[in-house]
Amino acid sequence: MTVDWSWIGDHTDDLTSLTVSHLEAALTAVLLGLLISLPLAVLAHRVRPLRGLLLGLSNVLFTIPSIAVFVLLLPVSGLTRTTTVIGLTIYTLVVLLRNTVEGLDSVPARTKEAAKAMGTRPLRTLLTVELPLALPVIMAGVRIATVMSISLVSVATYIGDGGLGQLFTDGFQRDFPTPVIVGVVLTLLLALVADALLVAVQYALTPWTRRRA
Amino acid sequence: MNRRTLLGALAGAAVSVPVLTACGSGITSLDGGGSAGSGGSGSSKGGVTIGTANFTENQVLGYLYAAVLEAAGVKTTVRPNLGTREILIPALKGGDIDLLPEYQGALLHYLAPKSRATEEGEMQNALAMALPAGLQVLPYGMAEDSDAFVVTRETARKYGLSTLADLAKQNGRLVVGAAPEVKKREVGVVGLKDVYGVEFKEFKSLDSSGPLVKGALKKGDVDVANLFTTDTDIQANDWVVLSDPKNLIPGQHIVPLVADRKADSTVRKALAELGNVLTTAQLTELNRQVDKDKKDPEDVANTYARQHGLAK
Amino acid sequence: MYELFENLGSWLVSGDQWSGTDGIAHRLAEHLQYSLLATLVAAAIALPVGLLIGHTGRGAFLAINLASFGRALPTVGLVVLVFLASGLSMWPVYIALVALAVPSIVTNTYAGMNAVDADVKDAARGQGMRGHQVLLQVELPLALPLIMTGLRLALIQVVATATIAAYVSFGGLGRYVFDGLAQRDLVQVLGGAVLVAVVAVVLDLALSALQRVLFRHRPA
Repeated sequence: MTVDWSWIGDHTDDLTSLTVSHLEAALTAVLLGLLISLPLAVLAHRVRPLRGLLLGLSNVLFTIPSIAVFVLLLPVSGLTRTTTVIGLTIYTLVVLLRNTVEGLDSVPARTKEAAKAMGTRPLRTLLTVELPLALPVIMAGVRIATVMSISLVSVATYIGDGGLGQLFTDGFQRDFPTPVIVGVVLTLLLALVADALLVAVQYALTPWTRRRA
Repeated sequence: MNRRTLLGALAGAAVSVPVLTACGSGITSLDGGGSAGSGGSGSSKGGVTIGTANFTENQVLGYLYAAVLEAAGVKTTVRPNLGTREILIPALKGGDIDLLPEYQGALLHYLAPKSRATEEGEMQNALAMALPAGLQVLPYGMAEDSDAFVVTRETARKYGLSTLADLAKQNGRLVVGAAPEVKKREVGVVGLKDVYGVEFKEFKSLDSSGPLVKGALKKGDVDVANLFTTDTDIQANDWVVLSDPKNLIPGQHIVPLVADRKADSTVRKALAELGNVLTTAQLTELNRQVDKDKKDPEDVANTYARQHGLAK
Repeated sequence: MYELFENLGSWLVSGDQWSGTDGIAHRLAEHLQYSLLATLVAAAIALPVGLLIGHTGRGAFLAINLASFGRALPTVGLVVLVFLASGLSMWPVYIALVALAVPSIVTNTYAGMNAVDADVKDAARGQGMRGHQVLLQVELPLALPLIMTGLRLALIQVVATATIAAYVSFGGLGRYVFDGLAQRDLVQVLGGAVLVAVVAVVLDLALSALQRVLFRHRPA
């Protein structure tokens, strides 16, 4: 299994565009996942009976093979990027919902009571007190969801998308290891870089946690 | 009519723009795409998205279509490896793709499983009748790639196999390997049973003349393999193609299947020219360059089009 | 959508669908075999590693980072890569599944060991316990709940991912998903997906029951 270095040199443009496309799918899914899971998590945090239901449901979604999700979406969104993004979003929900709920749970009751005593309205408390304090746990979820999405995008190669995953099917069909090796390495690098960036974002967003460390 | 064409073009543009920007398509879709202006006439103006199935030759054909269309001034996007016919045709109807390289007989059997047409002209007519509204086939080309049922020299000797009819003498003993869809296809397990009375011991879901089915045949995991006649590995391994005395397998000339919304005179003319030039032997050689020399299907297609005066 | 679920019902209950090599019973057995064997092998690798770094505290940074690196490995790519190296065999499936399961087990085992109170360990040593005694009689029992969480998580992931075996010509419930994709038979795809989910949930419940039995003698 040798690497054909000249193939890599000849395909830098293609590899760049596949990497961009790959990242785009993963990041869109994480953003959508956040948009969906934030309100759901607030709901699950406030309404106890809903909590078990929502978390249980998201856990069950996690057990469904991702390729099946992509295929079952075909009647809805066809062979498009939308199918890829919806499929990935579903998987990010599992992590994001759980972490956001746990983040909100971790806010001390005393802090919330203090805000209430100062006459802060509930929505304002949520936005300016609870969510910022929950941020470290939420960000931990965002990091896991991002790495997971980046690794999962390639499954969409079975429905003709999949970013770097296209290198896997290509190499498979032609008995050609080079594109496969390049695809795996680039996926790992993407995950690594994205994770490092998220750590930096978290550092910037939560200045109050720094002194403790 | 005019309004319909206009709406079609708009819908096509709306669909293909996000595909172009977001998908990035195949490994090699960038160099060729987007360079030509929109000099074409009629409804191919918004560009044509070419879908291809999950095997090498179909991608070579997709990029050949792209090469000749670009030369005619039509913008193209090739989406390689989308899947099987069963996935591609709904996508064509739904507007995710506009054009795909098809095979006459196999397409006919997909649309009309009961059809017994075998002569090319007859099949072309039957296709026109069987196609759903909004889709049409353009004139078929010279090149042909048939399905073949193949055994190793050793298996042929051991069981006395030379025709598909011989398979029935070994009913319940042989394992057949093919792409999953072949299990339900007329040109496949269904037709072999109806026409030749063949019953296999087991069907193994593998791939379309790809590494799985060929690997399994070599290893002896399957006795009979469904391959394409343009696959150079058949000769290279001295495998035996079982003959088809009852014409179960129809002629498989390559035929462009296109959505009405994109089938203007520019598209028709360019694809017809390609069809009149490309021969089976040439196509086989192009497949070999991609599979064995690891060249890009797009480069192979562009070079071919240039060498044969189909593109500059 | 409704029609799809209605057809799923008849797909699941039809007698034909359950027998033969392509029957649900056979595919289910294959799927269980792939999943359980892969998880066992992963546990055999990951548990000692997790316990060792948890006990000694050495190499934790490296192991945890390697584990999160492992989580980013694209399974499809790994399967294809091993396939190209080894040819038509079960290696691609098992290597990919084990690689998937190891990180969850290592990180959770380490987390469990790490959470054991240092005072408790000191007390054990103070009573004259040796290193391996502290590990087996004090740390391991206390870390067990988190270790089990890691095993359960790994098993769920492996069961869902064992679908990939069908991509490289093997069986398991993924056969229905990949064949259904090629034939555009969505009922078959849904059937395969539902069966995989049921297997994952049932195995998870079984492990959690096992966990409860193991801890019955100890108040939480």
